[in-house]
Order: sequence, then C-alpha cells, then structure tokens
Amino acid sequence: MLKKKKGQAGNAVQYVTRNQALKKLQLKLSEFRRLCILKGIHPREPKKKPQGHHKTYYHVKDISYLLHEPLLKKARELYAFEKKVRRAKAKQNKELAARLAARKPSYRLDHLVRERYPSFVDALRDLDDPLTMVHLFAVLPAERAHGIPAPVVQLSRRLVLEWQAWVVRAHALRKTFISVKGYYYQAEVQGQRVTWLVPHATGQVLPPDVDYKVMLTFLDFYHTLLQFVNFKLYHSLGLRYPPLLDNKLEAAAAGLEAMMKDLAGGAGGSGAQGAPLLEQGSQQREAGGEGQGVNPSAQQRIGSLADRVRQLEREIEGERPQHAGRAAAAGPAAAAQQAGGGDGEAEGEEEEEEEEEAAFEIDSGDEAVAASDSEEEEEEESDDDDEQESGGEGGEGAAADPSDGYLAPWTAGGGEEAEEEEGEEEAGVLDGDLAAGGAADVDADDDAAVCAHLFKGLVFFLGREVPREHLLLVVRAFGGQAGWAGEGSPVAEGDERITHQVVDRPTQGHRFLSREYVQPQWVFDSANFRVLAAPGLYAPGRAPPPHLSPFVSGEEEGYVPEYGKQLAALQEAAHAARRRRAAAAAGGDVFVGEVAAAAEGGGGAVLSAEEELEAAEARYAADLAKEMKQAGEDAAGSPEQAEEEAAAAAPAARKRRAGGEEEQAADEAAMKDIMMTRKTKKLYQGLQKTRAAKKARVTALEQKAAAIKGR
Amino acid sequence: MSKRSARGGSRLAQVSAPEPEPELEVAELQLSSDEEYESGEESDLVSLSGGEDDAGVDREIEDAVLGYMAAAEKNRQDGGSASGSDDEGEHTDSGSGEEGEERSQEGGEGRQGAAEPQSANLHGAAAAAAVADDGDDDEQRPDDPASDSSEDERPNRNTIGDVPLVWYKDEEHVGYDAEGKKLARRPRRDRLEKHLAASDNIAKEMRTVYDEYNDEEIELSKEEMRMIQRIRAGQFPHVEVNPYEPEVDWFTRDVEVMPFNAAPEPKRRFVPSKWEEKKVVKLVRALRKGWIKRGQVEPEKPTAYLIWEDDGKTLDKTATGLTYIPAPKLKLPGHEESYNPAPEYLPTEEERNAEQLLDDEDRPQFVPTAYDCLRRVPAYANFIKERFERCLDLYLCPRTRRKRLIIEDPEVLVPKLPKPQDLQPFPTLLSVRYTGHSKVVRSVCPDPTGQWLLSGSDDGTVRLWEVRTGRCMQCWRLEEPVSCVAWCPSPGLSLLAAASGKRLLLLPSGVGNEEQEAATEAALAACTADSSGSSSDGIEDGQLVSWQRWQGGGEGQGGSSGSGRGSGSGGVVVLHKFGIKHVTWHARGDYFATTAPTGNTQAVLVNQLSKGVTQNPFRKNRGRVVRVLFHPSKPFFFVATQQNVRVYNLAKQALAKKLVSGSGVITSMAIHPTGDHLIVGSEDKRLCWFDLDLSAKPYRSLRYHQYAVRGAAFHRTYPLLASSSDDATVHVFHGMVYADLMTNPLIVPVKILRGHEMVDYQGVLDVAFHPTQPWIFTAGADATICLFVNP
Repeated sequence: MLKKKKGQAGNAVQYVTRNQALKKLQLKLSEFRRLCILKGIHPREPKKKPQGHHKTYYHVKDISYLLHEPLLKKARELYAFEKKVRRAKAKQNKELAARLAARKPSYRLDHLVRERYPSFVDALRDLDDPLTMVHLFAVLPAERAHGIPAPVVQLSRRLVLEWQAWVVRAHALRKTFISVKGYYYQAEVQGQRVTWLVPHATGQVLPPDVDYKVMLTFLDFYHTLLQFVNFKLYHSLGLRYPPLLDNKLEAAAAGLEAMMKDLAGGAGGSGAQGAPLLEQGSQQREAGGEGQGVNPSAQQRIGSLADRVRQLEREIEGERPQHAGRAAAAGPAAAAQQAGGGDGEAEGEEEEEEEEEAAFEIDSGDEAVAASDSEEEEEEESDDDDEQESGGEGGEGAAADPSDGYLAPWTAGGGEEAEEEEGEEEAGVLDGDLAAGGAADVDADDDAAVCAHLFKGLVFFLGREVPREHLLLVVRAFGGQAGWAGEGSPVAEGDERITHQVVDRPTQGHRFLSREYVQPQWVFDSANFRVLAAPGLYAPGRAPPPHLSPFVSGEEEGYVPEYGKQLAALQEAAHAARRRRAAAAAGGDVFVGEVAAAAEGGGGAVLSAEEELEAAEARYAADLAKEMKQAGEDAAGSPEQAEEEAAAAAPAARKRRAGGEEEQAADEAAMKDIMMTRKTKKLYQGLQKTRAAKKARVTALEQKAAAIKGR
Repeated sequence: MSKRSARGGSRLAQVSAPEPEPELEVAELQLSSDEEYESGEESDLVSLSGGEDDAGVDREIEDAVLGYMAAAEKNRQDGGSASGSDDEGEHTDSGSGEEGEERSQEGGEGRQGAAEPQSANLHGAAAAAAVADDGDDDEQRPDDPASDSSEDERPNRNTIGDVPLVWYKDEEHVGYDAEGKKLARRPRRDRLEKHLAASDNIAKEMRTVYDEYNDEEIELSKEEMRMIQRIRAGQFPHVEVNPYEPEVDWFTRDVEVMPFNAAPEPKRRFVPSKWEEKKVVKLVRALRKGWIKRGQVEPEKPTAYLIWEDDGKTLDKTATGLTYIPAPKLKLPGHEESYNPAPEYLPTEEERNAEQLLDDEDRPQFVPTAYDCLRRVPAYANFIKERFERCLDLYLCPRTRRKRLIIEDPEVLVPKLPKPQDLQPFPTLLSVRYTGHSKVVRSVCPDPTGQWLLSGSDDGTVRLWEVRTGRCMQCWRLEEPVSCVAWCPSPGLSLLAAASGKRLLLLPSGVGNEEQEAATEAALAACTADSSGSSSDGIEDGQLVSWQRWQGGGEGQGGSSGSGRGSGSGGVVVLHKFGIKHVTWHARGDYFATTAPTGNTQAVLVNQLSKGVTQNPFRKNRGRVVRVLFHPSKPFFFVATQQNVRVYNLAKQALAKKLVSGSGVITSMAIHPTGDHLIVGSEDKRLCWFDLDLSAKPYRSLRYHQYAVRGAAFHRTYPLLASSSDDATVHVFHGMVYADLMTNPLIVPVKILRGHEMVDYQGVLDVAFHPTQPWIFTAGADATICLFVNP
C-alpha cells in the first residue's frame, strides 16, 4: 500500500497562495487583481494553511478558471500593444504610433456577467454595491488628476437615470431614508430587496489616499452588469432599451424627467401626459355624479336582475361619451410618444382598450357577469374620484369618522401646532382615510399596490432649494406627480392642481391656501410609513419631527422612538381604513339575492374595522402594562443586584443565608451551566451578554428620552 | 547734430535712388516733403546752390546722413572683414562709399568734428571699393532699408545695458560708450527752446523723438514717416513689396528640347522591388488565411441584450463548481444615522466629552449628528473612502461560509433536565457541625450502620462521633497527622483503620456490641499471632511490612463506658516503609489496601486481616499511585495513578482496562455500588464519569468547581453522588444509572452545599455519604465536619 505523502492531498493541493497563483498565471500583481475584480474571484480561508498563516489563499479551481479566461489573452495583447506604441513613440515614429493606437485591442465583459450571475435573481441579489458605486460616480467630477474619465461619469449618470426611471415606472420603491451619509433607497425587484445609497448632492471631495484605479475596475464591471440588468428590467416591462434621454431636459437638470419622458405612461405620467391625466380626472368627477348614486343601500332597493341590467345600461350610456373623451385625451399624448419613437405606452393603452372593451360588452347587455365587472370598475373609479377629492382638498370627511377618538393622544401631541397654525383642524389629518392617501382603495395587505397609489392624485411642487432628483424619484415612485421651479416642469408654481408644495426655507413668503407647505422629510416619512403624515408637523421653518430609519424593526431594536409610535398608530388607522373600504366595496356589488349576506358582510367588515381599532387600543394598553411591569421589575431588580454584589464581596456572609432564595436562584443558574457543553456554554453566555447589552442600550435610550421629555 | 539723427538721413539717401512706381511716389513725396529725391546728387546740388529757408535744415540732414553713413560703414567693415566678402555687402559698401566720398567733398568746413575722423577712414574704403567694382559707380543700387536686419538695429551708443535709467537720472552722464568713456548728458532744451524750434520748423520738430537711453533726439526721415503711415493704413511697409508677383514655372511638364540631364533611365526603375514583392506576398498570404479582413467591419454588438432567460432559477454553484459565497451585505442604517435623529440618539455633552478623552481607536466611528433642515446637510466626507474600503473588502478579503445559529431565546440552549425538586431526597440542609479537631480534617468515614462517624485530622487524632448528636465518643492520638480513616465493612467486626504517617493502625472502635467487640479482639489477636514472636520495632529484611500490637493512644471522651473500653483494648499497627496516604477496605472486610504514593514499587500493598499477611501485587507502578479501590462485587482492583486509572482483574492477574481521564492530576476516585461506573476527581477542577462497560474515555467530564476537586463519593443506596473541592463547596448530583444498557446514565446537579470556609486554599477535603440516609458528611479544612441532611 502506498503511503500518503505530505502535501499531496487535501488543503495542500486545493489551495494556492497568491504568489503561486501569480507564477502560474504569469501575470503582474496589478493585472491579477484586475482580473480577480472582474471575475469576482476572492481569496478563501482554508481550514489548514499549508503555506503558513499570514498568506492569502485562492482555491486552485478559481485560478485554473482564470487560466482559461479570454480576458487573460486580451490582457497580454494589451500589454504587447502598449509596448509597441511606447516603442514607436520613443523612436519618434509618430505615424506608426498613431496607426497602432487606432488598433487598440478592445474587450467586453458580457460573458462575465453571465458567468458570475447565471440567473437574473443572482444578479439582483448582488446589486447593492453596483448601484451605490454607479450612483457615486454619477455625481463625481471627471478629473484627470485621479484618472476618472468623463465618459465613465456620463455612462454612470445614464445608468442611474435608467434605473431610477424603471423604479418609478414599476413602483418598486419600498423604503427611503435620509441619512447623514446620503439617501438610502430600497426597492423590491422580483422579490429581492435591493438597497442602494446615493450621496448628498453637494460636491464630493476626492480623497487622495484612494486608489481610483481599483474603483474604476469595479465600475467597469458594474456598468456592464447594470446595463444588462436594466435591459432585462425594461424588457420585462415591454419597454425599449436604451430609453432616449431628452437632452433638453437633462441640460435643465430635470434628470429623471428627461428619462421618464421616453418611458411614458408610468403612473403620474410624464410631462406630456400629466395635463391630460388631470383633465381626465376632472371629467370623471363631473361624470361620476351618476355613478356615485350606486351605493349598497340603493342596490338593496333594486328588485330584480332585469332592473339592474337596465339601470346599468343607462349608466353605461351616460359613461360612453366620457370614455370617448378619455380616448381623445390620451390621443395626443400617445401621438407625442410615438413621435419620440417609444413603444413604452403600449401597456397604458392596453389598459385603456381593456376598459373600452368591457364597456362594449356591457353595451350588448347580454352577460350579467360582464356587467358586474364593469360595475366594479366604475365603482372603483368613483371611489377613486372621491379619494382624489378628499385627498386633495384635505380634511373633508374628518368629522364623520369614528376613529378620531382613538388617536386622541396623537391629536393632543399635535394640538399645540394646531393652535399655532391658526386653528387648522389637526383632527382631520389624523383620520385614517385621509392618512391612507391615494391608496385608500387598494388592498391593505398588498404592499406593492399601496406603494404605487400612496401619492395618487397628489401634485407636488418642489421648490428650488430642495433636492429635486430625490424627491422626484420618491414622489413618482409612490404614484404622485411633481413639478418644480425650472425648465421642463409639467406644472407651474401657480397651478391650482398642486396639493403640496415642498419647501426647505426658513420662511415661506406667499402662500397658496389650496395647498400644504411641507418640508422634504414629509415625503420620505409618508412614503416609509405608507401614510400621509400630518403636514402641520413639517411646516416650513419649524423643526420637523425626528426622521426615523425604516430599516430597523421595533421588535428587533427593542425601542421605538415616540414619533415612531405615533406614525405606527397612524399607519394602523390607515390600514383599517383601507380594510373598511375594501369591505364596503365588496359589499357594494353583490346582487339582490345576496343582499342580506352583503349587509352582513359589510357590517362584519365595519365591525372588523372597529374590532381592529379596539384591538389596537388593547395592544396599546398591554404595551403600557408591560412597560409598567418592566419598570417595576427594574426597580425590584436593582437592590437584588446590589445584594448579590454584596454577597460576592463577603463570602462569610453567605452561609448565614444558605437557604436564601437569591442564592438558590444563583445556584440553580450555576447548576444549569454545569450540564452544558463548553461550546453551548460559551454560546449561551455570549447570548446573555448581548441580551444584557441590548437591554442596557434600550434602557439608556428610554431614560434619555424621558429626561428630554421631562425637560 | 548727432550721428543718430544722421542715420535717418543716410537711409533717405539710399532709399531714394530706386523708383519702381513713380506715380505713387509722387503723391507721397508731395505729402511728406517739398523736396524731390529723384536723384540724390542733383537735389543736393540744388539745395546747396539755392539758399532757401529750409536749406539750413536740409544741410543738417545731409550732414547727419553723412555721419551716419560713416559710422555704418565702419561697423560693416568690421563685420565684413570677419565674415569674408559678401556680394551684397560689397555692393552696398561701394555704393555708400561713393556717396560718402561725394558728401565729404561737398560738406565743406561747416561739419562737426565728430564726423571728421570717420570720413577720413571712408576715403580709404571707398577707394578700395572703387578699385574692385568700377561699373557700379554712377548708379545707386536699389537698397531696401528694412531688408538688412543689421542695419535695422540701431547700434546703441550707450553700453549700460538693461538697467533702470533712473539710476543715471541725477548723473552728469547717461552712461558709457564702447570704450568705457562717459557719455556726457546733453543739456536739455527747455520749453522756450522747444517752442522756438517748433516755430522755426514745425514739420521737423514734429518728426523728432527723444531716445532717453542714448540721450539723443532722433528725427524720423520722411521715408520712415511714410513707412509708419503705410503700416497704419494696413499696407505693406515697403512700397517695393509686390504681393502679386507673376509665377514662374521653372519645372514644367513639357519635355525640354535641351534637358538638364540627358542620362537614360536606370534599370532599377523598371525592375519590381524585391522588398515590395516580399511585402505583397505577406499581405496576400494574410488575406488568404483571413488574418486581414477587408471591407467587412465586424458589426458592433449592442451594449446590452437579453442574457438571462425567464426561468428564474438560481444555481448554488458557480462555473468553477465551487459554491458561490456572496459578499455580506452592508449593515442597514439605524435611527441614529438619520440626518435628523430622535434626540435620545444624540450624545449628550458628557458623552461627547468622554469620547474626546478616548483614544482614536476606541472612539466610535460614527457620531450621530442632527441638522435642523435638509438643506444644511453637508456631503459625507468619508463616502468615497468607505466605498473604496468596501471595494477592497470585496476582492481582498477571504470569504468563508459560516453557519450562524440564530437563537431567539437563549434558554433553548439549556439542556432539559428534570427539576431538582422532583429528584428528592438529597441533602440540602446543614444539620450537625462536628467540632473538636484542631487542624484540617483529612478524612471522614461513617460506620456501616450509620450510627457512628470516624474522622482523621492533621492534628494527629482520630475521632469517633455519634452522628445524630455530634458528640465525640472516642479520640485516638496517633502523634502523626492522620491522612485517612476507614471503617471495616465487615458486619461482624467493629474495627477501623487509620493511616498515620508510615503506620497503619487497626483499632477496635469500642462502640460495637459485645459480639463484635469479641470478634474484633479475636481478629486482631489472630493477625498478629505469628508475628508476635519477633517483637522488634522495625521491619525485618525481606518483609514488606511488620504487623505489631499497639497499645494506648485511645482516649475516651464524654461517656464513661467509652473510656473504659477504649483504654482496655489495644489495636494492631502495620508498619510500612513509606508514608501511607490512603487505605481502603474490600467489601467483605477481610482485605484492605494501602497506598503509599512515594513507595515506588511498594506503593500498593494488599493486606489480609484474617491471616495478617501483606502482599505487593505489582512489581512496579507506572506513575505515582494516588488511590486504589476494590470492586464492590467482582475481583477487580482499581489503581489510580496521577494520570490514569488502571483496572486489574485479580482473578486473571492481568490488566483489564486503562481509563484515561485526560484531565490533570487525579485526586479522588469513587465507584458506583453496581461497580459499573466510576467517578474520578482531579486537580484541574474536573469530575469525570466513566462508564466501565462503554469506553476508556469519560462518558461525561464535568467542570464546575473553581478549585481542585478533593473528594468524590457515591451513595450506596440512593442515586446520589457528590464531589467536594477546595472552593469550599460540595456539589450533589442525582446520578441515576439504569439497568438496561441502552439508556445513558442521567446526571443532574441538584444542590450546591456550602458549609465550610476556605483555609489556606483548602476547602472541603473529603466527602462521604451516610450508608442508609440521603445525608452527607463533609470534612473541611476549617477543622470541622458537617452533616447535611435532606429536609
């Protein structure tokens, strides 16, 4: 039998050190690093390090994988090419140098994207770093001193805009956060959470102790990756890639708008479409008078199916011109987009066509099912109109809502502001319906839909001092529309449709009474909590409430700041309102035979909403009780601890208290430890330590908060 | 008049000779001056003859011209002689020489002194020129004033160089000439003089400029004035320049009748070049083989296209076949990173000050900061740095997959054990404290009935206690410290063994009943029967030990009956060669084994009471023997050295097993009543449980004492075991051993007993269970013995 020799199996042959790898690949270190970055090859940590610790180990397969890389050949070609050019230049042979320079070998990284990310989801999982990096380079100056070429910056900018445009179009944005480091965004793409960080818009100082070559190598790959990702995303939406950038708008620093113009048809619409959309809205409002008459109570009175169908037909006849008008309104917009060469509006048109088809079917009047379908749609639309009205004008249905009382503490919190703001009714703002924003009708459990409709029907005007690009992204991704001070804005400052004006200045001179004036944080907070927060708190000139991170969960953290609790309560109310509406809508189109059931169902829904409120209240009470208890425990716990310490200090005193309960508890704890293995024991102790640390942190925060409140 | 002003004049004279475009010239002449310069000689003559107003002025000009000519001539000759004869130079020389000659002749006496020597020189030069070239005498050569650069440049009179002229402002001189002589400053004309001069000849005054450097006034000639005017008008400065000269086609394509070179065409012009041929062959080959692609430019691939299908599948493996290890994502920001965090997240003044005091490394990386509005938020200074570091992490950091246990509740880690309350009875309460020893109590041992307790101490006494009352019934003074006491388990005897130094004493307890007393007396007598003859004090040669009678030392306490009996009966002493540390009885009570760690080959001795013989079962011992034990039922013998425990089969007289505890120095050992389990305590705070059927390695190794384990014991009937340690605690365990071989023994810690104090780093040195009750005796270093009972 052969004896196994050392160094012929196991880690000794599976891993090679970096220098061994270099020798095998015959590369310079810099070139090797470059290839590693592009190929995504990283060192590994073998269990045994046959060549010694303090060395970097690569897997032998990784290296042999590099060995067959086409880029390796290209790298060598490039090296030879550079040598030739250098030689020609040194010999003053300018002609030859120029001729050679024209034949610089080029390479592409497409195959690497496919290799590294065999499926699209893989790529999405790793998208955080690429996005952050590209967003950073999109705002960096193209500086020759650091070797940042202008085309790289331009490409970064383009990719950033494409990505943002897609996020807006797909309403994929879920969380936003203004941190000291920059703006964090989290989008949900095919179930994957993609988080990226965008630096603040102010100029970046390029630190000298950073190797920009490394970053540019990363960026090289990230550009390729992001292009493919964008392509795939656009492709999945049926949009052309690359989208055309409106140069005029881009020059006017309208950024996202410049890209969106090409995409067109996203909710909130482009500049070209914004106006028609709004017109539509007003049309619907006018025509919706009849539709609004259809409510559950009215339906109960309808005797038979035939009557119902007849009534529907009548309604539809009334609606018909409206549809035509809408089509006409959409016409010019579509034409405009076709002129731009876009096939992007196809989807939007499809929807429209669908609606029209439905209308025709109903017109034939044969199928009750179709009728019910259309009815549902109409119902939705009318609801939508309602919502737009109430959302737009603010605080209409406030008095009627029974849930006002629930949020009493919050109202009290905002009461001071209410006084300051000349008796503006804060209670109205606390209404769940109102807080639900444009997303009142959507399914409360469907987060994507809530996000897409949150700002629906709201028109924002962004002042020139606010970060326009970020706000545009958030507002439009959450379904709102926005205009700004400057060229290319779809709405002017004086426009009556504007519901919110975002300003960030100490005082606001002229105020339109028809709109709310808020600081930019309002948009971010509202988006995070899926509610329309109380705008009074964010009035220009006053210190806004604390901006909370949406990335921490209260349970994990163990501590929720005061304002977080308020917003959570508001969120709860909005949620309940959405539920209620959904229940009402479900009850609304039930037929006669099911009237009773519908009534019951509706009642049940309302009841459930009430129950929910009650439940929320109960939860609050329980929380309070828990807190009280905790406080009590703490109070009890501290002398106990002191005692324990005293006991530790004086062992002589111990035996006198041999039967003491505390000691027994300590003994029990010690005895539990005995039977654990060492590994488990360490784990257990570590966990206890972290728990204690967390608890200490939470208590410190609570104490601090209490002290601040007391002051 | 100075030489300088004369220079202009000389130019005038030179230029005036050729007249290429008369019509232009006429007009200009009229503009600039009233004189005609058609031919220098004539005009000069006229001016000389006609005594007009301007004649004086003109004469001055003429003089200056002459002077200048002379100077120029001199300069040129200096240069010319050095560089050899130049054609044009000669011509000029000759021409001007001629002129100079004429002028000097005409000049007359009114000339200034300065010009005179030069004119004398000129004569010579002119004569030479005239000899060389006679033909040029009468015609003036067309000479361009601007053509010759050397002439264009005024030679400076002053040689001070490029220094500020203010240095000479207050001096009498303006500088130095080439010879180093001072150039005296000329008297400045005052205003009146200027005015008079102007009124004399306004035209001339207007043409005069002052050269401060050389301290002279330069009068611009009319030609120069004209040149200036032309420049101002945007024309060529010189009249002679013709921008539209007719082109002469020297090298026509027409074959000349008389070519310059009539040589026939060389052959090489008709033979194909070899080099070119090679090149062509190369190219042709390259084309054929497709190395060079002509015409077709490869279509540029689009930058992006669809590379992923819609399958939505994910693969764990990468192309290399290794599992893909994604880089860990960055931590998401918490509330404290907000630009406007809740006030409780902001550090207070004290905290901030405390941070200032910390070292740079300890200082937190990120300090929450609040900005009152968004527009005040500055750029994050470390943004690029952090991204860069992230990049470095991505490609330089080794990656491994770590399985991370996410444990919500740490209590799940705690093993599920039955509650101690359910495992009662076990000792919990300190019931009796036996006091009387004056030093560390080394050993305790209850009698098989459980009524009496023996204890041995460092104060050299063995005491017999009544368990229930704590009363000391008897005390034997053995002079040397007692390291171990053991009660003979034989029910018919009332005998105890005590190890004190090198002596092992077998003593009748004196608390047994009549029969036991008698039997004990008989047994003691029997064991010393054969050795009684040799009543020497020492051990005979060849003998391991010596069995002898022993009188005295016994001392009753308290009860009168005890004292009476104790004094009456004597014991047996077994003298050893080495200090005995431990003694243990076989279960039947006939054999007992002593351990003397220092006696290398005689460390373990087995004695038979009934025969009074001693044997040494082991020829040598590996390591220092610490403890020995008899198996309760089988012929097995356990020998614990410091490192491991050897199990010998006495029937086969062979090593049955070697138990490796893997811990430190073994200090104590106890066997389960069934004989299948062994616990071993060691100095490294460990208690090892060996399942003898299972393995040579411990089934369980428990480490819970703070100091070395000193004693370990099993209860005879209850499933209890205990260990004592130098940390002055006794841990009581529920140690259930099941009859079926499949179930593992259940070990549950049930109680920690604390009743002793640490003295000199010694705590509880021995521990023994009550034979029938769930009680435990502990021997402490604080010279007391405690009895813990169940509640």
